[in-house]
Amino acid sequence: MIARSLKWSRHNLFAKPFDVLLSLTVIPGVLWLIWQIAGWALTVAQWDIIPQSLRVLMIGIFPVDQAWRTWVAAMIIAALLGAALGCVFAFRGRHAGGLLLVVAVALVLTGTKGLANILCVAALVALFGLSWALISRVPAARRGLVPASFVGLIAIFAVMAPPGAGLWGGLLLSILLTLVTAVVTLPIGILLAFGRRSRFSSVRWICTAYIEVMRSVPLIMVVYWIWILMPVLTPQLNLADVVRGMIGFTLFYSAYVAEYVRSGLQAVPRGQTEAARSLGMSEFDINRSIVLPQALRVVVPPLVGNVLDIFNTAPLVFIIGLTDFLRAGQMILANPQYGDRTYEVYSFLFLTYFLVGSLITFVARKLEKHLARGSR
Amino acid sequence: MSTIVEMKTLNKFYGSHHVLKNIDLSVARGEVVVVIGASGSGKSTLIRCVNGLEMYQNGSLLVDGYPMPVEEDRLLGGESELAAIRKGVGMVFQQFNLFPHKTVVENITIAPMRVHRKSKAEAEATALRLLDRVGLKAHAHKYPGQLSGGQQQRVAIARSLAMEPHLMLFDEPTSALDPEMIGEVLDVMRELAADGMTMMIVTHEMGFAREVADRIVYIDQGAILEIGKPDAFFDNPQNERARAFLARVLKH
Ligand SMILES: Nc1ncnc2c1ncn2[C@@H]1O[C@H](COP(=O)(O)OP(=O)(O)O)[C@@H](O)[C@H]1O
Ligand SMILES: [Mg+2]
Repeated sequence: MIARSLKWSRHNLFAKPFDVLLSLTVIPGVLWLIWQIAGWALTVAQWDIIPQSLRVLMIGIFPVDQAWRTWVAAMIIAALLGAALGCVFAFRGRHAGGLLLVVAVALVLTGTKGLANILCVAALVALFGLSWALISRVPAARRGLVPASFVGLIAIFAVMAPPGAGLWGGLLLSILLTLVTAVVTLPIGILLAFGRRSRFSSVRWICTAYIEVMRSVPLIMVVYWIWILMPVLTPQLNLADVVRGMIGFTLFYSAYVAEYVRSGLQAVPRGQTEAARSLGMSEFDINRSIVLPQALRVVVPPLVGNVLDIFNTAPLVFIIGLTDFLRAGQMILANPQYGDRTYEVYSFLFLTYFLVGSLITFVARKLEKHLARGSR
Repeated sequence: MSTIVEMKTLNKFYGSHHVLKNIDLSVARGEVVVVIGASGSGKSTLIRCVNGLEMYQNGSLLVDGYPMPVEEDRLLGGESELAAIRKGVGMVFQQFNLFPHKTVVENITIAPMRVHRKSKAEAEATALRLLDRVGLKAHAHKYPGQLSGGQQQRVAIARSLAMEPHLMLFDEPTSALDPEMIGEVLDVMRELAADGMTMMIVTHEMGFAREVADRIVYIDQGAILEIGKPDAFFDNPQNERARAFLARVLKH
């Protein structure tokens, strides 16, 4: 064991003089940093601010007496995410154990007060697990997934809308924005990608121009433009800031999804289309049943990566006055009473973003392997 | 006997490259026509014109009673005949081109269900019957990637047959196969010929060509140089280039 680790360190840390130098400076440096951080986190930091302001971090300034609406929204989201996971990973018994562990950890970490909240967290995780199991065990249920996700999103809007869309905020807003963008950009991106290959040059030209324009401007620009344009274009609609933000994100990311899908379409051999044509199939049927499924298979991993991109750029909605997760943290710090807790709050934000980000990356990796195995 | 394919002074260009030159060829129902010629001579292009995978610029082409529109008309949207023609013409490719994300049965049933609006049960019954005919019933629920090349090509033939074609096109169906698998595919094609299927076949298998063909078409640099009965053609080719070609390929 010791011999092994000595050998390992000789190969990886001390192979060349430069490695030795690097190892001797970096390793102590990192150790010192960890020591400092751990020391701060365990002795100096006052973590009580996190449970105290957890509600604001999660749902922003959504009224307390209406909080059940956000729980319903969270449950719909949990069910949708579970279903999405079920499409690619089979649900096993040990996963159920893992989910129980998640509930336990969540309860310990957040010190959730009151029986109602505990039950809600448990229900959330149970729903996630159930829809995961259902979709992975009953493949026929997958057909309903796309319509179900649209219905789910509409239901979320319906249940969250009454107190006023201006009150949406916190992590819930970040996740909602990501989810809506991810789901709506997919069909739009697919249409744009096919449009870019259309035999009608006008369609081709419009789609190409749209994609190229969106890809050559910053996201924040598009979001801001949509925000100021919507009231002018549709004055009678009076769309809420949240909705305008989602439209901006969707318009922007559709172009990126279109490019991913296009790379997938190009990866499908010409022979596939020719064989389907020679069987007399219509171009619509060929694209829908032969070309698209094979193209999407190739681009699922980058598309999952794209979802992470959306989530990580969501804080930009502060420009149109929305209070996403990051902004909610800053809002708490704006309270003079909490002014000295900057590091605690930002540590929590960092860890949460890191956790969600690595989860999505992990899923993307697994997917890549999973699909590579399946296509042999 | 009625004709099923009739090409008259058909010309095809890739840009300025003249690939098919004044092709005159007709195929009778029930006939087996084998097209031979050197690589790059235009054999694939010729048979791909028949089901409209390639467009031709001028001349005329009548398939299964429908006029195949020329390129200009097709680009302007005049493609209604195309769908009708393709329903009656099957094609088998060198690279099999099975749909890798669908099982063998799904590969065979998708077109009858989508194009002929057959019920799933009916399409599957037909598929299993055809798989039995090509000796692959046991593999019905596998994916193409799990089959050998010869098996995949036999599935591809079954897939075409499921559309009940009046004419089958084969573009070098055995050229991508390991030698030991060529025989099983040629056997299926022999049976088809014996059953009276009309076929246009591009192949380099000269023994097979001589055996099943009613007529041999020799094509060189985009022009048909000789058409003849197999025995006459192989024993005593009239065209000089055909003679040189045969001398080259029969030596091996
Ligand atoms: N897509 C294409 N674009 C341009 N030239 C082509 C294309 N396909 C084939 N050709 C040319 O047309 C000629 C005939 O090709 P092909 O019909 O494939 O020959 P064969 O099947 O007899 O080998 C060749 O010279 C080839 O280079
Ligand atoms: Mg060829």
